Amino acid sequence: MDLLERLQAICGPEHVSDVLADRLCYRRDCGPTTGGVPDVVVRPESTAEVAEIVRLANEVRKPIFLWGRATTFVGFGVQEGCIVMALDLMNRIVKIDLENQVVTAEAGAIWHAVDSELNKLGWEMTVPGGGGMFSCTVGGTAAYNAVPHGITEYGMTGGHVVALEVVLPDGTVIRTGSAANTDAPFPIERGANGPDLAGLFIGSCGTLGVITQVTMRIRRVPECERFLFYAFERLDDAVDAATAIQSQRAATFLVGLFGGPKPDGVEGEAFLHVIIRDSVMEAERRAQAARVCCETFRGRPQDPEGTRRYWTEHMYSWLRNTPASAYYGSRPYYCPEVAGFLPTQALKEAIPMLHDYIANNADFARVGMHVKGFDVYFSPNSAFLWVDTLYPEMDPEARQVGLQVRADIAEMLFGRWMSPGGIVAGIAPYIMQRLGPTYGLLKRLKAALDPNGILNPGVLGLGGDDD
Amino acid sequence: MTERYDHDLTLRAVAQPIYECLRCAFCFDLSWLGPANLCPAYAWGAFESYGARGRIALARALLEGELEYDATVAERVFACTECRACSEHCFKYIDTVAVFARLREDLVARGLIPPGLAAATDDLAETHNLYGEPHERRLAWLKDRSRVDRAASVAFFVGCTPAYVRRSLAHDTYAVLEASGLDFTVLGDEWCCGHPFLAAGQRERAAEVMRHNVEGLRALGVERVIFGCPGCMRTFREDVPAVLGEPLPFEVAHVTEEIARQVEAGRLRFDVYRSGTVVTYHDPCTLGRGLGVYDAPRAIIEAMPGMRLQEMPRHGRDSYCCGAGSFVRYDFSGLTDRTGDERLREAEATGAQVLLTACPACVTQFQQVRGRLGASLQVMDLVSLVRRLGRWR
Repeated sequence: MDLLERLQAICGPEHVSDVLADRLCYRRDCGPTTGGVPDVVVRPESTAEVAEIVRLANEVRKPIFLWGRATTFVGFGVQEGCIVMALDLMNRIVKIDLENQVVTAEAGAIWHAVDSELNKLGWEMTVPGGGGMFSCTVGGTAAYNAVPHGITEYGMTGGHVVALEVVLPDGTVIRTGSAANTDAPFPIERGANGPDLAGLFIGSCGTLGVITQVTMRIRRVPECERFLFYAFERLDDAVDAATAIQSQRAATFLVGLFGGPKPDGVEGEAFLHVIIRDSVMEAERRAQAARVCCETFRGRPQDPEGTRRYWTEHMYSWLRNTPASAYYGSRPYYCPEVAGFLPTQALKEAIPMLHDYIANNADFARVGMHVKGFDVYFSPNSAFLWVDTLYPEMDPEARQVGLQVRADIAEMLFGRWMSPGGIVAGIAPYIMQRLGPTYGLLKRLKAALDPNGILNPGVLGLGGDDD
Repeated sequence: MTERYDHDLTLRAVAQPIYECLRCAFCFDLSWLGPANLCPAYAWGAFESYGARGRIALARALLEGELEYDATVAERVFACTECRACSEHCFKYIDTVAVFARLREDLVARGLIPPGLAAATDDLAETHNLYGEPHERRLAWLKDRSRVDRAASVAFFVGCTPAYVRRSLAHDTYAVLEASGLDFTVLGDEWCCGHPFLAAGQRERAAEVMRHNVEGLRALGVERVIFGCPGCMRTFREDVPAVLGEPLPFEVAHVTEEIARQVEAGRLRFDVYRSGTVVTYHDPCTLGRGLGVYDAPRAIIEAMPGMRLQEMPRHGRDSYCCGAGSFVRYDFSGLTDRTGDERLREAEATGAQVLLTACPACVTQFQQVRGRLGASLQVMDLVSLVRRLGRWR
C-alpha cells in the first residue's frame, strides 16, 4: 500500500485527500508567505488516529504539519510535499466540569464556541482567547500560547491550561499534570505529578508533540464590565499612566494605541483603552484607580463607547472608534506582523524609533505601504507591542518591501528590547539565534523527542533543514 | 501587476476581492452561538476547498496558474448553495458570492457544469420553467383569468415553484393580495426569473429571460412587482440591472413586506390559530441575507394572537440554509438532505409545533425533510397562514 492508502486505512477514505484542489487550501495561514503544497491532507477523528498517523509518518520519513484554523499571522511554514494533519474533526467538548471548574475540549474545538457553551451556563473560560478568537482552535491557541484579550489581568493563555493530552512524535500518548495518573486521571491540577510537562508543549507550536486535548480553567462570568478611554498629548504620559495602571492592578485589559490611524473624532498622540471586569463594587474601585492613573499623567477622558463595542463585539476597529465595515476596507493588504514583549517603559524609545524608521524609509511610501497600528496589549507587568505594517498583496514588489520591513523591524526590536510571543516559522529566523544556549537546549529536546524531524519541521527553527 | 493573470478568465474581473481575503476563517462557523455550522457546503464536503476561504484560495490559484479548472474544482464551486452566510460574516466584507459566480461562468465556458444542473437549465431554456413542465400550464392554478395581462400599477410575479410545484402557495399569495384590495396584474407569459441560469453560470441565457419578463411587465405599465419567491425578487432587484446593464423600471417587494405594511396600518388582523401555539421562523437565505428582510415576517407572526415565536439559535443574519439553495439538489442530493435534516432538527429543538418560513423552495425542502424524518413539526409558509387567519378591513 502507498502512503495515501495507508492513511485512508487509518482515517477512512473520506477523510484523506490528495486532490490538488484540496491540498492548495492547506498551506497558508494569515501571514504573508504562501507555503508549500502538501502531498496529502488527512483529517483524523481521534487521538488514536493521530498516533497512528504520526507513527506512519516516522516510518516513511514524511513530515507532518498540524492544521487547526491557520489563523496565525506570521507564516506557519508548511513545506512542499508534506502531510497536513487537520484537526478540525476533533472538535468535541469532552466535559464541562463545573464542580472542578475546568472544561476539557478536543484540540480542534473552536475556542469561542467552547466559551459560548460555557456562557449559556453563566460560566466562561478564565481567559477570553487569542486574537482570532472567532475562529482559533483550542489546541492551536495552547500550542501557540496566544496573547489573549484580557492579558493585563489574566496573563497568557498558557497560564490557564490545567492539563494536556499530547501525542508525542513517536506516537506515544501522554497526559500532563494530575491527569497523568492512570489510576486517578482527573485533570484538575497542572502542578501535580512532577515537572510542568504542559509547559513544555505550550508555545512549542506543535514541534514537540501534537496537542489533542486541552483542559482549561473556567469561572463564573464576572458581575459587571466597566470601560474607560483616555487620550494623551504625549507618548511618555500614556506610558507612565499604563505603568501606574499595571502597578495598581486596575485593568482587566489595557490597550494602547501609539501609531497608525487615530481614533475617529479624538484629538491626541497616544490613547489608552481600559476594560475592567469584576463585581460591581470592585469594578468601580478599579475604575476610579484607573481614572486617577490616567489623569495624573494628563490624560483626557473620552467617550468609551468604542471601547465597549470593541470588547463586546470583538471587532478591533472599535479601538479607533470606527465600524468594522469602514476600517477593514476593501483593499487587498497583507500584514508582515512583528510582535512581542518588551518592558513597558521601553515603549518611550521603541515607538519613536518605529516612527522614524517609517518616515525615513522611501520604499515604504513608494510601494503604497502603510501603518495599521503600533498597538500594545499590556500584560500584568510588560507591554506586548505589535507592529502592523501593511503591503498591497497584489504587487510582488510591494510584497518584497513588506518582508524587508518585517526583517528591519524585527532586527530593530529583537536586538534591543523585544522577545516575540508566538514564533512559528515566519519569525523564527529573526529570533532563534539570539536565544543562544536556550536555542541549543530546544534543539536537543527536539532531537530527543522527534529524532526524524517529523512534526512541524522548521517551525521555531527546530528540526528543519538547518538542523 | 496584471502580468500574472494571463488566462482567459472572467475571474480576472474579481481579482481584487480574491486578494482581499485575509484567511481569517470567520466564514467557517458561528462560534458565538457555540459549535454551529455556517456553511452547508463545507459541513458536507468537509475539506476547506468546499468552504468560502477554500474557494477563494482556489480562485487565487487559478489566477496565478497553479490550478486549472477541472471536475474537482467544479464540484467545489457548484456545491455552494449561495446562502451568503460567508459573505455576511466576512471580516473583510468580501462579496464572496460574486467571486463564486465568476468561477461558475468560467467553468461553464469550459463545459464543466454538473450534469443535473446542465439538464435542468436545458429544460428551462425550452420550457421557461425549471421543472420541464409545459409552459402553457404555468397559470393552470389560476381559474379566474380576469387579472391576467391587464394594465395595473402592481404585478404579482408567481415564480416557477409556486406555479408548478406548490400551487397552493400561488393560490394563497394571490388570495392575500386580492383580499388586501390591491389592484394587481399577473403576467400571462411569465417566464422563469433567470436565477437558475445564473446559478449555472449561463449569463446570456439569463439575459434573454430577464429581458422577456421586464418588457412584459413594462408593457402593462407596472410600477411595483410583488414576489412570493425571494429568489425571483433578488434576481430582479440585484441581477437584472447587472446583467441587462440598465436600472429596473419598477420597484420590487416581497409579499411579507406588503402584508406587514397592512398589519402596521391596522388594515389586517388575525384570528387565533390555536392558542398557545409555539412557532419558529426560518429566515430564507435569499429573503434575509440576500434582501435584508428580517423584520416583516416577524412583525406578522407577532401580530397573530395566541402565537409565540421561539427563535432558533441560528436566526436572522446567522440563519442556516435549508439546503435547497442554488439548485444543489440536482447534483448534490446528499448535501441538500444533510443540511435540511440539520436545520429541521434545530427547529424541532426549539419546542415549536410549527416551522414557518417565507420561501417556496424552503417550504418544499422542509416538507420533504419532514416526511423523510417522520417529524411531527408542521411546516407552513407564512403567507398560507396569513390567508387562513387574516381578516382585512
